[in-house]
Amino acid sequence: MRIRLTSIMVDDQEKAFRFYTDVLGFKEKRDIPVGQYRWITVTSPEGPDDLELALEPNANPAGKAFQTAMFAQGIPVAAFEVDDIAGEFKRLSGHGVAFTTEPTPAGPITLAVFADTCGNLIQMYQRA
Amino acid sequence: MLLRHEGFRRLCRARDLLLDMRELPLTIHELARDVQISPFHLIRQFEAVFGLTPHQFRQASRLELAKHLLATGERSVTEVCMEVGFSSLGSFSVLFRRRTGETPSAYRRRMRPFISVPGMVSTDLTPGCLTLMGRLPASAFAPVRNFREA
Repeated sequence: MRIRLTSIMVDDQEKAFRFYTDVLGFKEKRDIPVGQYRWITVTSPEGPDDLELALEPNANPAGKAFQTAMFAQGIPVAAFEVDDIAGEFKRLSGHGVAFTTEPTPAGPITLAVFADTCGNLIQMYQRA
Repeated sequence: MLLRHEGFRRLCRARDLLLDMRELPLTIHELARDVQISPFHLIRQFEAVFGLTPHQFRQASRLELAKHLLATGERSVTEVCMEVGFSSLGSFSVLFRRRTGETPSAYRRRMRPFISVPGMVSTDLTPGCLTLMGRLPASAFAPVRNFREA
């Protein structure tokens, strides 16, 4: 059993694709039409190339209610590791990304939290 | 842009107000007054956080709910139009068609075959990614490089 695919619910797949590639800098891996939706996955340019993040359409009212509540409670739904959190904070801020937590030391990591424009809060962290 | 706790809370409140389908159309000034942010900052911050302006967000949310109701419910197009907060059937139909490419009744006719049990939501209408996986071609799992990488 391997972890090779994970997903994140997004309120609009095209908007999400642009944010996760153009702003965060992930690479398109697959983009396949499926009915009225798309199977979109991205990978990190820093690898590994076979670990994919799917941008999952969130059309289910139950999913929307969950996503809305998690967001309002300030709870991130995913965490991405970075090497230079201060640099990433500056770079993403330059793209107009809204942060709810600026880089903050927290035990063994420094973390920051931002909105992904698709209904989620995302945590990024740098190991000490 | 760094949102402090209070600013973040106000934007969430603005989103809740925009998601309230029963609410009569709020002007941006009324919304801004309610959440105590200036209209300029409200639009700017809301777009940075949610990816759409407040107006775009409300329209998108209402159309999304309308699609769901049309596909799964028993209500008429007029009733759905009222349910999602439009007062004019004409403007609802025009907007729906502009955004989805078909009229509300055409959308419903096309989606109805996907509903096998009334009230149950088909995975064709509200897929999670794991249900989409089963409908992918085998190439979706092949360790191939896509053309953008090549």
